[in-house]
Amino acid sequence: MNTTHDPLSETLHGWRVTPPPNPNFRQDVWSRIAKQSGVTWPTYLRTHMAAWSMAAVVVVGAAGFTGGALAKSQARADREAIVVTYLVDLDPRVQALLKP
Amino acid sequence: MKYLLGTAAVIALLAVCTGFVGYRMNCDPALHAVVAKGDTMEWLHTDFHLTDAQLSEVRRLHESYAGTCEEHCRMIQEATRARKALELAHGDKAALEAATSKIQGLRTICEGSIAAHVRKVAALMSPEDGRRYLALVLPKIANFDHTAAPDLRLSHSN
Repeated sequence: MNTTHDPLSETLHGWRVTPPPNPNFRQDVWSRIAKQSGVTWPTYLRTHMAAWSMAAVVVVGAAGFTGGALAKSQARADREAIVVTYLVDLDPRVQALLKP
Repeated sequence: MKYLLGTAAVIALLAVCTGFVGYRMNCDPALHAVVAKGDTMEWLHTDFHLTDAQLSEVRRLHESYAGTCEEHCRMIQEATRARKALELAHGDKAALEAATSKIQGLRTICEGSIAAHVRKVAALMSPEDGRRYLALVLPKIANFDHTAAPDLRLSHSN
């Protein structure tokens, strides 16, 4: 067992903090809370303008691109389907396969 | 927190609207309608911007080609039947090869004939539409799989 006296431990043991009393403490806390709740949406947006602008450009751009790509893909599939129908009528090799 | 969620919701709504606009701007309802009907002449009319006169000329070309198509079809079927008969009779290898070669030759003639026909049809369209039409049709003619019938479900889907 270690029986040596550690001066730092003794000092810490005897240490007492006695902050000066702040008579406005409660009032200051409520004042800060009121200030926080007073932030409006435009103020919030102005504060975070850069981040939200970036997010909006990326998300809206991606959505527009996806919508366009979806429509183009559907048109491509439609054309593929109708070309098959067209060639069934036109191609004797297809007719030879289909006719009994 | 409520402003964060609110802003995210507004952006999401904006994204949905933009996606919808992007879709509407690029979609082709007329094409989708003719595909749903399976009307190939109407497809040529709308998708390749044919005038009524051009469409009549395309119809006339198709009708005149129908006889050739019928004849080629009959010849391919006859040659196929002859080869099958040889297979069943366990005919000699040389005769079987000759029969297979005949079918292949007929298919090649047929492919050339149909390609020439679609080129005539393309010539009736505007240069841009003609190129687009040939880019759609010619690869399908060249890549025709003679071992299986085309997927007919595909032609009437949607």
